[in-house]
Amino acid sequence: MGIPQEAYQAIEDIVGSQYVTDDQVIAQAYVGRLGHGKDTGIDLDMNVPPAVIAMPRTTKEVQGILKIAHRYKINYVPASSFWISHCAPKKPDSILLDLKRMNDLTIDEENMCAICEPGVIFSQLQEEAIKRGMYTTTPGGGSQVSVVANHINWGLSPLNYRNGVPGRRVLAAEWVLPDGELLKTGSLSMQDDPFWGEGPGPDLRGLLRGWIGWFGAMGVVTKLAVKLLPFHDEGLTPVGITPHTTLQFPEKKRIRWYNWSLPKRDDLVECMYDIGKAEIGAALTKVPIQWRYIAKAGCREDFWEGWNTQEARDSLGNMHICRVMLVGYTSEEQLEYEERVLTDIMESYGGKLGRTRQSDNSWIKNADSATMWMMTGAYTSVQVTVDTLDCGVKGGEGLAREKPAFTPPLMDDYGEPGWFQVSELGHMGYIEFLQYWDPNPDQENLYKKDEWNYIKVPTLDAEWGMFNAFNIYASPMNLTGKAYGPECRKWFEKVKAEFDPDKLSNNPIPWDVDKYVDQVDWVNKEDYIDRDWSKG
Amino acid sequence: MKDNYDINNYTYDMDRCIGCKGCVWVDHVYMSGVRYGVKCPSNAYKLFDGYAPMGRLKIGKALMEGTIDYTPEYLDIMYMCQQCGACDVGCKRNLDLEPFTVLESLRVKAVKDGQGPMPAHKTVAQNIADKGNRYGASEDRLGWITDDISVGDKADMVYFPGCSASYVEKGIAQATGKILNKAGINFMTMGDNDSCCGHPVATCGMLDEAKAIARKNIDNLKATGAKILVTSCAECYNTWKVIYPKMLSKNTSDMGYEVVHLVELISRLVNEGKFEFSKPMNMRATYHDPCRLARQGEPWVEWEGTRGKYGILEPKKEYRRGTFGCYQPPRDILNNIPGLDMVEMPRMKENAFCCGAGGGVMDAYPDFAKWAAKERLTEVQSVAAEAVISACPYCKKVFNEASKENNMNIKVYDITEIILACM
Repeated sequence: MGIPQEAYQAIEDIVGSQYVTDDQVIAQAYVGRLGHGKDTGIDLDMNVPPAVIAMPRTTKEVQGILKIAHRYKINYVPASSFWISHCAPKKPDSILLDLKRMNDLTIDEENMCAICEPGVIFSQLQEEAIKRGMYTTTPGGGSQVSVVANHINWGLSPLNYRNGVPGRRVLAAEWVLPDGELLKTGSLSMQDDPFWGEGPGPDLRGLLRGWIGWFGAMGVVTKLAVKLLPFHDEGLTPVGITPHTTLQFPEKKRIRWYNWSLPKRDDLVECMYDIGKAEIGAALTKVPIQWRYIAKAGCREDFWEGWNTQEARDSLGNMHICRVMLVGYTSEEQLEYEERVLTDIMESYGGKLGRTRQSDNSWIKNADSATMWMMTGAYTSVQVTVDTLDCGVKGGEGLAREKPAFTPPLMDDYGEPGWFQVSELGHMGYIEFLQYWDPNPDQENLYKKDEWNYIKVPTLDAEWGMFNAFNIYASPMNLTGKAYGPECRKWFEKVKAEFDPDKLSNNPIPWDVDKYVDQVDWVNKEDYIDRDWSKG
Repeated sequence: MKDNYDINNYTYDMDRCIGCKGCVWVDHVYMSGVRYGVKCPSNAYKLFDGYAPMGRLKIGKALMEGTIDYTPEYLDIMYMCQQCGACDVGCKRNLDLEPFTVLESLRVKAVKDGQGPMPAHKTVAQNIADKGNRYGASEDRLGWITDDISVGDKADMVYFPGCSASYVEKGIAQATGKILNKAGINFMTMGDNDSCCGHPVATCGMLDEAKAIARKNIDNLKATGAKILVTSCAECYNTWKVIYPKMLSKNTSDMGYEVVHLVELISRLVNEGKFEFSKPMNMRATYHDPCRLARQGEPWVEWEGTRGKYGILEPKKEYRRGTFGCYQPPRDILNNIPGLDMVEMPRMKENAFCCGAGGGVMDAYPDFAKWAAKERLTEVQSVAAEAVISACPYCKKVFNEASKENNMNIKVYDITEIILACM
């Protein structure tokens, strides 16, 4: 088993012996079991160790490896920060491209963009941007995720309220196609300047990313220019000792958090729209109640002491918190003006201003996504609908009604309908439905968390007509997009057949969920997969 | 009694790692950019994830499950690590797993399975068994005591210099003695019973030998009647304060003695206005936090209980997250020295990059140790410091070697030498 010796030798010639290995002890470090998707059925049943791990330093080296893979028909998997189980090898005898050596970062201050290689992570980019009076959105996926990978994948955060979703921030790219050929998109196709995303001819960013991206199934992006946005120029000061580290806001009134408590969920939704219409604010989100208990807890046991109370149970109906960040981008006066507008809006809905710290440790530079695993040891998000906010909230409330049938093994969150927010000044709503479970394999009916993730939620989304954006990592392609008519599956298949006919780039992505549900015995395929959606 | 080094107690920690690499990256709040973004020396040196703590957890789990067996690469992965503990504080910022103890326990298992430690570690262990010091030296261990140092016959405090300051970096022991004299603190030594603390055998996984040394040293300290043990070595400090109670399944507070580092003593006096510096030190310098004094310096708190649904511990565990390590005392001292222009490195306090010498690496992988030291010295250069000051003789030694070998022209001091020069 493994890859042909001559292929290994060729890779070694490209990257050097220090940066390639077929050692099966080291390979154990790359067997999935990480990040988003950890402990789901796919992670546990499909992920396998790579046969070879190679660490290229340059685009040319990546091209060389992909050409060898093409020559010998070897499956390969690109991994930058290696934080999504979807992007771990699922086929034996694969090459894993560990891209952490590719960590060049260039800031173009004049044109307000950053040119990143895949090994650069968000906290590094954010630090360099803030030093220069700019910023980007550190995504909910965490500060530790790759800037390149996240921009061509997803990247939601309350900061997208003003900064826009990542697809709007992608500029030119250097993209090694599945067969090893180099494609430069945007202005890079004409000159050594990545400032334009469009370039001449069709905009290839749709092919690269579309709405959600390929999770490594369409070659390797080795360089990506991303927009940076203007920030205030007073900086943020890191303070504290672990685990209580935070970015202190400046004394000058240039950036402030506000926690407003609204009487009802409907009020929370309406005030989000109004804030967007007023075009004020830098970040805007609802705070799911379990997050409040996480924030107050010193450890998992503290969380459960707080969570296992009637007060927590009651808080679902009583607590509707809108968390808003205002930034005086130009001046203190700007923030003061926005604060007055925000107060008017919130008070018109009966909102009450609560206390909050004037510092940040969860959205601007440090997005500690790992905390999501603190409560139960296992977590994933489903649905992740992007539509209007009304639509998202409706979906979240619907899922909350259905979830008790899958609880346990899912954790009882008292009917919490998910994390929602608006992006792009209210033009786009967003919901992420969170579930936590105990991953202990000895539990009865543990498979039901997979049934919920892979089948129930995508089916409900299709039934309800939700635009299910993110779910190709948790939803069968067979179900994705059906609510709107076209099947994503067919579109993906055609593109894949054109660019990667041998399916060598991270196969079986993006059909791994389909493959998985095909092989398990708990899926009633007639109810779900084989359903004729044209009949409603 | 619970065995804190039994790997079977940590299967949850190995399995629940989510690969966020909080063990590798500098705390994102303090992230200074790409260049100094990694705090794990072994994963900075060997870039494969197998050499990251998160990889070690997966590999350890694979060994436990029988998926892999011992190989030379496996042993390198487990021993090419300074056990600096940067991983542990990073992990416990979010998840409260125990990557540091997992690695310690995997080394213990390797020794029990007849696979570890590495040959160089066995030599050091033999030296300690034969001569009571890691170097196998035969000379007088108390030879550092010169006529101008006053050592009491009986005192409440024992100064425990450790092997390095007794044989190699004698200037540190001598400076410590003089500083204590100047501060009016009466101290004694363990006399003929002064011996190695056992740190080298403990860190390489030789648990039985380390326990035997611990018991002997504790008995010898008890025999002196002293209740306070002062060190100038971060490794000795950590061994007496943390490793002994951890090996013996006790709380630090129940050991019957108190361990202090010299910087803790002197900083208290400085802050109370009872210790002043009369001579200036005109120099721009930076302070390097020794791992075992700083993020690993918190007392050991014994825990025994069960893990239930959702991984909830009963009773609640008091975690050592590095929050209360010894960070401020050395800074309080140095910031009070006239003329001394102190500047912080990007990776500091709980995020400090290890000097490279610890965890048996200097013995078994000297090239790696010097690489790590050089990497740290480039960081010293990056803040335009002409000198680096630490509070551990092993940091001083490896920094000096790296500075000389790479013509880096960086002055290297132990904090005791700075205090002495400015008194």
